[in-house]
Amino acid sequence: MGRVPHYDAIVIGGGHNGLTTAAYLAKAGKQVLLLERRDILGGATVTEEIYPGFKYSVASYVVSLLRPDVIRELKLAEHGLEIVPLESSFSPLPGGDYLVRWADRDQTRREIYRHSPHDADLYPEFGRLMSQMARAVKPLISMAPPDPTSLNPKELLELAKLGRYFARDLEQEHFYSLVKLMTMSVADFLDEWFESEPLKAVMSSSGIIGTFLGPRSPGTAYVMLHHFMGEIDGVFRAWGFPRGGTGAVAESIASAARSYGVEIRTSADVEQVIVKKGRALGVALESGEEIYARRVVSGVDPKRTFLKLVDESHLPSDFVEDIRRFRIQGSSGKVNLALSELPHFTGLPADGPHLRGFISVGPSIEYLERAYDDAKYGAFSRRPYLDIVIPSAIDPAMAPPGKHVMSIFVQHAPYNLNGGWNDAQREAFGDAVVDTLAEFAPNIKDAILHRQVLTPWDLEQVMGLTEGNIFQGELSLHQLFFLRPAAGWARYRTPVKNLYLCGSAAHPGGGISSAPGRLAALEILKNWSKPWSS
Amino acid sequence: MIQPYDAIVVGAGHNGLTTAAYLAKADKRVLVLERRDIVGGVTVTQEVHTGFKFDTWVHGVGWLHPKVMRDLDLAHHGLEILRNDPTVFAPLPDGAHLTLWQDGGKTVETLRGFSSSDANKWGAFAERVAQVAQILEAAYSVTPPDIRAGSFDDLIKILKLGGRLRRLGRRNMMEVIRLLPMSVAEFLDEWFETDVLKGTLGASGISGIFQGPRASGTTFILAHHHVGSPKGVFRSLGLVRGGVGNLSAALAGAARQHGAEIRTGAEVEQVVIVEGQARGVVLASGEEIAASQIISNADPHATFLGLVGPLNLPQDFVQKVRNIKFRGACARVNLALDELPSFTSLPGDGPHLRGVISISPSLNYLERAYDDAKYGGISQQPYLEASIPSLADPTLAPSGKHVMTIAVQYAPYQLKQGLWDDAQRELLFDTVVETLTEYAPNLTGAILHSQVLTPLDLEQEFGLTEGNLNHGELTLDQLFFMRPVPGWAQYRTPIKNLYLCGAGTHPGGGVAAASGYNAAREILKDA
Repeated sequence: MGRVPHYDAIVIGGGHNGLTTAAYLAKAGKQVLLLERRDILGGATVTEEIYPGFKYSVASYVVSLLRPDVIRELKLAEHGLEIVPLESSFSPLPGGDYLVRWADRDQTRREIYRHSPHDADLYPEFGRLMSQMARAVKPLISMAPPDPTSLNPKELLELAKLGRYFARDLEQEHFYSLVKLMTMSVADFLDEWFESEPLKAVMSSSGIIGTFLGPRSPGTAYVMLHHFMGEIDGVFRAWGFPRGGTGAVAESIASAARSYGVEIRTSADVEQVIVKKGRALGVALESGEEIYARRVVSGVDPKRTFLKLVDESHLPSDFVEDIRRFRIQGSSGKVNLALSELPHFTGLPADGPHLRGFISVGPSIEYLERAYDDAKYGAFSRRPYLDIVIPSAIDPAMAPPGKHVMSIFVQHAPYNLNGGWNDAQREAFGDAVVDTLAEFAPNIKDAILHRQVLTPWDLEQVMGLTEGNIFQGELSLHQLFFLRPAAGWARYRTPVKNLYLCGSAAHPGGGISSAPGRLAALEILKNWSKPWSS
Repeated sequence: MIQPYDAIVVGAGHNGLTTAAYLAKADKRVLVLERRDIVGGVTVTQEVHTGFKFDTWVHGVGWLHPKVMRDLDLAHHGLEILRNDPTVFAPLPDGAHLTLWQDGGKTVETLRGFSSSDANKWGAFAERVAQVAQILEAAYSVTPPDIRAGSFDDLIKILKLGGRLRRLGRRNMMEVIRLLPMSVAEFLDEWFETDVLKGTLGASGISGIFQGPRASGTTFILAHHHVGSPKGVFRSLGLVRGGVGNLSAALAGAARQHGAEIRTGAEVEQVVIVEGQARGVVLASGEEIAASQIISNADPHATFLGLVGPLNLPQDFVQKVRNIKFRGACARVNLALDELPSFTSLPGDGPHLRGVISISPSLNYLERAYDDAKYGGISQQPYLEASIPSLADPTLAPSGKHVMTIAVQYAPYQLKQGLWDDAQRELLFDTVVETLTEYAPNLTGAILHSQVLTPLDLEQEFGLTEGNLNHGELTLDQLFFMRPVPGWAQYRTPIKNLYLCGAGTHPGGGVAAASGYNAAREILKDA
């Protein structure tokens, strides 16, 4: 069937990675169509006015991992992206005590000293190590992973280079630290450094975000490092809040994409990738419309792509098996609040700089571990770990004057809840979150004007994330690098010719990084003249 | 000055004896010094109550390095290993039970009673685990490469292991790489649906570590325990005729035959270090003995922070040793029985009692057992691995009576309320007996004598830091070139002429004699 392609490339899904791939392809002169099922762009990177006057960063809520090269190459600042740094991390503790880490190093040191002089002494050194580690793995997250089983000389060369890098260029102690980070639990890793429980707790919490793991689970040290990899303007470990909410990130990339000529259609639900003789030819929409293109790029997760959009008969059975067993269970939910006033944390002034950064409710490793225990057996945490940001305290335009929006990321909430998610369970989950927060900020209940609760099931329904997994697949060791999303298929290609993946399920994984989107585009362009063949 | 000995081995555990035997076989003058009055370390059989011989801590052998068996002619020195069939019997509270056999066909037949899907997958599963175990076995017989040194020898080692992987073919190679960091729960969930099958296989993924089956790296431990087992034979444990102490006796016999001298009741208090070189040892009695090479079978913590002393070592090395995770999590209950336990699910005597008896009804059961322990408690419903060696070898108990040895997990070294005391010991005993009695109601009434051993006992009696049988946890961050500490995985230490040969070194764990064998090879290179 010799259809004339309408486009050089179709990108399925207008999440930040899909938009990024589309922008890069168009920038290289390709004619690109991007199709988004919802009526707004951004995927999980959206800002929505769910309650009049209050703008929620509905799902994802902060930025750190966004690649500086993407910001530069797509000129995102010109397209309206402005990131305000989040400069503190505040952990309320039972009894009114707290731990705050500030942008100012001396201030942080003094604060940690209050909890442990030993930890205060080591803290800067630890920070240096983590920055060095983040730099050490930077080559890994900036490349398409070579396949160690390949006999292709090009890939072998890349592999040899990588081996050389680890064996020679990396300092010996850094190499071993990296091995430890890859294999240890975040609690064990931090135990080698620190003694203060609140400090270990708040630091370990970044090791469990988005995972179905507790801080004592091996592999979580890597997830902590993953969260350390963020750079803003070249500064590692920096986190920021996009002015206008995370939706502003998607909007700026969309604006860049449009400026390069990308055609974007919303409310266009792709139902099927059209495959003939092992080759992707285009897509069929739910409306019945068929659109043809030379390349099809999927920004949606691999389960949805290969088990729904592509007919299984076009795929090798080994591959289908790999995709089926790809672990993607969602473990987190989101509660967004419209507030009549700021939360008043016991022991601290009602308003203050501590409310303009992260607020982390998870006072001890044991607290976090118990939150995980509930989830292991199919319940949401009775006392969950909460990672909170008050966007309106940073960007007043997010809420009416004097009022506030609060974004609460909640862990753990298993997708496979005992008895399944329903309205009653969703409300009970929301209550558990508010009750937990009220233990530390007693005025919160009376301040709530509106509450939006999103369970992993909702994330699946609304955003299309299979099982509500925010990373499109767990960041466990056996699902990283050349094993992400499946062994032998880590270079954005798929067993279907001309079909590519560009979402978080591809290397290097989740977060608002645009890294998979950019790397996918570069791989696609590399092979443009010479369609990839097995 | 003529030194009386070329080498002194500190500690007569099975690895120490192995190293000693190899060195003596190479015509070195070797002295082995053992603090206790018997050799074997934890690989001992002791008659705690008259007529009843307990395999105190280790109740059988999994993989015993075949080359060591041959080189040291252990059979000639009296070692006889009895293989159990069925390998494992896992009773369930509701009266059902799972039995796995030496014969794959029989296992499949059993599985068919639970799930035809599981039965159909058994062959492929066995094949997959065997592939991983083969790679591990190859890796266990070599000294870990110093990846950083980049010497030709080390490069060849890496290429050889890589070549072995590659021979499996692309897909299998990827699978092997993928499996090692997985949790055993994830791994087994990919294959099977029967809870008791997953629990019983998964138990070998947590055995000896302070982690539950959902911990990354536990699939490695499952494969580790499969090394040396025929394909498809899981949880097979070789009993040693006369008790596991006979393995130590055979090794000691081999060492002596080659001329090694073994002194028991000789506690080494200090390694003598002069100008950064080990020159000898000082005993608790004050006696000093000199030798050109000192080899420690003690764990790295005890060796470096005890025998050597932190002041003699670089500070960052000391820090690394302090960071080794030990945290023993296993206890032991040994019982002298008036009669055999009779299980509700399979009453009376039968072949099922000859295998390992495993209380592991599901992965969640194991996980919950871990949950209790991670907050510093004894598992309320512990994972138990019991065996009755007197069935295969009646000489271990008076006629008609039996000994039963039970490995208990989890019993953490660090209890929330502090050190182990008599009350905790009693609680542990009661928990174990109650748990088993749920499955075998006559057990409580059949107990004549008992011995309860906690991780603290293991530390105090055997000198094992935090009561860890493996001289350091077998977790991914403490394996291969990371064992015992990064950068020192080749049995050498920052002290010249001082070596390690115990389970704290690669490959560590089990009664494999592989650490001792590998260490001897490196020591002879330097001699």
